[in-house]
Amino acid sequence: MSGVLVICEERAGRIGRTSWEALTAGQRLNDAVTAVVIGAQTESLAAEVAARPLGKVIRVEHTLLAPYTGDGFTLALEQLIRAEKPDYVVFPHTYQVRDYAPALAARFGQSLIGDVIGMAEGPVFARQLMQGRLHGQYRPSGNGPCFLSVQAGAFPAEAAGAAAGAASPAISNFAPTLDAAQIRTRPGEPFRESAQTVDLGSAQRIVSVGRGIKDAANLPLVQDLAAALGAELAASRPICDAGWLPMERQVGSSGQTVAPRLYVAVGISGAIQHLVGMKGSQCIVAINKDVEAPIFEVADYGISGDLFEVVPALTEALKAAQ
Amino acid sequence: MISLYPTPAEPQHFSISEELLFAILAVLSIYAFWRRFSPILDRILKSKKDPDFHLKPIGKRIRDFLWEVLCQAKVIRQRPLPGLAHAFVFWAFCAFLLVSLNHCATLFGAGFLNPAGDLGRLYFYLAAIFALACAIGIAGLFARRFLVRPRWLGEKLSWESGLIALLIFILMVTYLAAFFIPDTSPAAHALWWTHTLTLLAFLPVIPHTKHLHLVLSPVTVFLSRGSFSRIPPLAGDEDFGLVAGGDLTQIVSLQAYSCVECGRCTEHCPANNTGKLLNPKEIVLGLRGYLNEYGPASEQPLLGKYNAQEAVFQCTTCGACEFQCPVGIEHVPILVGLRRGAVNTGAWEDEHGGKLFLALERGSNALGLSTAERDRFIEKNALPIFDGSQEYCLWLGCMGAYDPKGREIVLDLVRVLNHLGTSYGVLRKEKCTGDPVRRLGNDLLFQQLAESNLDALAQNKVKKMISICPHCVRTIQEDWKEYGQPPAIEHHSEFLSRHLSQLQPAQNKQKIVFHDPCYLGRYRNVYDEPRSVAALAGQLVEAPRSRERSFCCGAGGGLAFLGEETGERVSHKRAAELAATGAEVIAAGCPFCNTMFRDALAARGDGAPQLVDIAQLAARGLPRSGAS
Amino acid sequence: MKILVAIKQVPERDAPVRIGASGKWIEEADLQFALNEPDAYALEEALQLKDKHGGEVVAVSAGPERVGSTLREALAKGADRAIHIVCDDLGERDALGVARLLAGAIKPEDPDLVLTGLQSEDLGHGQTGVIVAELLGLPHATLILHVEKTETGIKAKREMEEGWFQFIETSTPAVLTMQSGGNKLRYATLMGIKRAKTKEMRQIAAAELGADATPTAVLESIVLPQKKKSTQMLSGSPKEAAAALVEKLKAEARVL
Repeated sequence: MSGVLVICEERAGRIGRTSWEALTAGQRLNDAVTAVVIGAQTESLAAEVAARPLGKVIRVEHTLLAPYTGDGFTLALEQLIRAEKPDYVVFPHTYQVRDYAPALAARFGQSLIGDVIGMAEGPVFARQLMQGRLHGQYRPSGNGPCFLSVQAGAFPAEAAGAAAGAASPAISNFAPTLDAAQIRTRPGEPFRESAQTVDLGSAQRIVSVGRGIKDAANLPLVQDLAAALGAELAASRPICDAGWLPMERQVGSSGQTVAPRLYVAVGISGAIQHLVGMKGSQCIVAINKDVEAPIFEVADYGISGDLFEVVPALTEALKAAQ
Repeated sequence: MISLYPTPAEPQHFSISEELLFAILAVLSIYAFWRRFSPILDRILKSKKDPDFHLKPIGKRIRDFLWEVLCQAKVIRQRPLPGLAHAFVFWAFCAFLLVSLNHCATLFGAGFLNPAGDLGRLYFYLAAIFALACAIGIAGLFARRFLVRPRWLGEKLSWESGLIALLIFILMVTYLAAFFIPDTSPAAHALWWTHTLTLLAFLPVIPHTKHLHLVLSPVTVFLSRGSFSRIPPLAGDEDFGLVAGGDLTQIVSLQAYSCVECGRCTEHCPANNTGKLLNPKEIVLGLRGYLNEYGPASEQPLLGKYNAQEAVFQCTTCGACEFQCPVGIEHVPILVGLRRGAVNTGAWEDEHGGKLFLALERGSNALGLSTAERDRFIEKNALPIFDGSQEYCLWLGCMGAYDPKGREIVLDLVRVLNHLGTSYGVLRKEKCTGDPVRRLGNDLLFQQLAESNLDALAQNKVKKMISICPHCVRTIQEDWKEYGQPPAIEHHSEFLSRHLSQLQPAQNKQKIVFHDPCYLGRYRNVYDEPRSVAALAGQLVEAPRSRERSFCCGAGGGLAFLGEETGERVSHKRAAELAATGAEVIAAGCPFCNTMFRDALAARGDGAPQLVDIAQLAARGLPRSGAS
Repeated sequence: MKILVAIKQVPERDAPVRIGASGKWIEEADLQFALNEPDAYALEEALQLKDKHGGEVVAVSAGPERVGSTLREALAKGADRAIHIVCDDLGERDALGVARLLAGAIKPEDPDLVLTGLQSEDLGHGQTGVIVAELLGLPHATLILHVEKTETGIKAKREMEEGWFQFIETSTPAVLTMQSGGNKLRYATLMGIKRAKTKEMRQIAAAELGADATPTAVLESIVLPQKKKSTQMLSGSPKEAAAALVEKLKAEARVL
């Protein structure tokens, strides 16, 4: 048989979003896409993925496949791939996939084309190089199956142009042969770090406030915004100097260096001491009265306006969006 | 009735037993002196040789010696009243050299100053004038130490200072008193013996107390490193700076024993004045304590019992201590040397410091930003690239290239350069000059940065450079010499002051206070040029501490890149002082001072003065054109 | 504990990116090179394990002559010796090809632990460590922040997605790929550089290892991506601007 195997990943009991995206990528390669769900109990996952028009769905099930181990997944999928002989094996580029897919590919004498952001005729696969400063085009040249993983967000999760009302794909089972002795790592229960006092360094979202706030009495305004975003509250140095917020919330060269996914700078003009502490943030939003403020130079999105009007409006908009 | 005689009384006859007694006491006195002094001398001489020491140019050394030692210029200038009192004591000592020798010689009837002769009499009168001034001076110094008690003299009252003052006072009084009695009076005998015994008691006291500086400090001043705050090169594969006793050089040891504990260094130290551990006087005394306990060959680390690593890394290298020191101690090379010892061996662990080092190991600037930011700034403002055809290479520095405020300064300087028709260009690639890592003691990184930059400048055939940053100027001109021949560089204030006639004064005159950056003032001796530029925009006022006494902003010595300070912030203290002058504008001449004050003034709220660089003041009077 | 640390020399993060004449890689002539950052964390963890438990840290790297400087840096930071797999065609090999070289050099060393960075800053495959484990037949774990020695092997703290962590235990020998940020990196010191001069650096020619160099995925061409968008200023009334921002954060930046 030839075709595309898409290995779907479970997230909190459901098919993860990036797996849907991987399915889309798989469908672009070939209509005959087989979705693979893998674990100790895969029935509901299989049912979930079968709602999508696909070639078929395979449940790879074994008690030793939960919790995840690199050894278990590699062995089970190796057996499946040897049986199915696909042209392509597509994964979502998740932490878990990064843990086992390279080894799995190596068993077939292949090298995974990882973190793919696009594909073109050939096919050739595009991936980022030099931390995103370059894009490279890779052409598979091996004579075994081609392994690739796709970057989150690179492909739409929704199936494009799939015939609505198509027949549900057939669901089949695959029972790999696994032995407990083959599993050499013992994974522990996932945990979160106990919340320390303030850990800006690992915060995913940060709302940071600067001199523009004018008075400590105005702080609730940004506290509300932080709450609406589920963000940590931080500040530039003058705010902490004034004692309006504790020193441990200071972002900048003499405070903490942060790199959240979202950094909202409110009333911060962007002194260099502050910029060096937050420049690594993935997405920077600046709200400042002064359109010439240097913070706008580093921001992805800027609103030039009175923070006393913009911030409450933003808080409202965020609440409404939830 | 007391009558004044034309010459001091001189006993006419001494018995053999008196001569014998004197001889025994004199030998004892000299022995007591030597017994204490010789091990000190030994420790100094057994210290490592200074690998880079040159007596030449000797002319400068002689001038410095005449001015600082004989004229007591620094002593007087920086603390006029006590300074003058000290100078009189010193000059009296000089005058008394002959008097005392003669005094002892009379015992054997071999006096060489003839009281009857004109010359001898003149000399005795001269000595009497100094003796009077000295007696008054020493009484004043005594009162200051034991009654006024300034903080920097230390918590503890020094009994030895009291004893010394007493001895000096007795010496002077006994000399003066001799003018009031005739030679033949028995009192002349008694006076002679009192004076002599005091003299013989004084000698052994010298090496036992900080009055050792009497002997050592003239030598220390003469044998300075040759220029202000000069960081000596490391020599050989096993030199990592001041790690243990074996690393102390003769100059360092000599300086350690020269300290007179006057506390001027501490009085002017920005770290000590803002509640930090660092006390420059204690650093020097710590080395002395180390030498006394372990000696100069010891493997015992220098940072430990006697000196704390924490203190050493609180220094802003502002150089106020070294500038103030009247006995020629060079604190900055010592502090940097101790840092070198800690950093070059990896003993210093600091989150922010480590981050700075790693940023410069892997990147080009101390801020850890991408060079693309610098490229964008150059591109956006269409700054010409240096191609060898322009007169000046405009060195942007990290602050000029990356700091929003520093960029404004550069752009205003560029407006002035354009107005003057001066050609300039910036380098495509620049790395940090290495100033912060040099002062923090990271020699490996400093060498890499200096060599890489020197290379780039040579490739571009740069001859003349200009920079807005005194730290860049100092590091390029002086510190890079260790690794090559840097092109001539000047600070923009020097350039601008030469072109004052072509610049227009601003319309709107304001009250301006200029803050002397340490690296422009004390390090480069440039004080008037930036003032002349600032004066274009208004009326200058002076801060209480200005020019060579200027108080640091807190950024130097790499501290701008380290974490929170303990105690009060240096920048806040200085900003408050500048604001208190009532000036509407604070003029800075250094982008680091600028950024430090920016935060400090922000904390003061809305009424704070405006903060600008002198380049911005120079640009104020220019017609606003499209070009920026 | 004997620890092998596989490190890579990569262009400095700030290096100018210009496409070379072949169109397949960037112009390397005026590039400066540095130690791959995740590998620096792997080295740091190895050095800390050595500080605690004793043993030996050996740095291994593949690449042309210039890689020697990065290996010397590892020696300067505290590695005991270094192995340089001399190979001028590193860029033409895929992750599997590179892993074959490393595994070939590591195997005779018979280490207790192999550490390497999670991924390289230039190619970013993030696979080499895992494949080395596969080729050596050793257990592995990825995204490790911290390693502890246990009675029978090691216990490693692993980063999972969305702020979750787990501990993974395994026997030694094992291969771990290290995530950045788990430790504070030590800076290079003058003393370290001077001491490194006397340490052993062994060169092995890639050909001696007999590893298959044929790639299974060929990098055909590289392009500069379109310039990153500049700041988008959102105008309108505060309400409109706020609404537009929320929309952008959701749909475009996908951070909500």
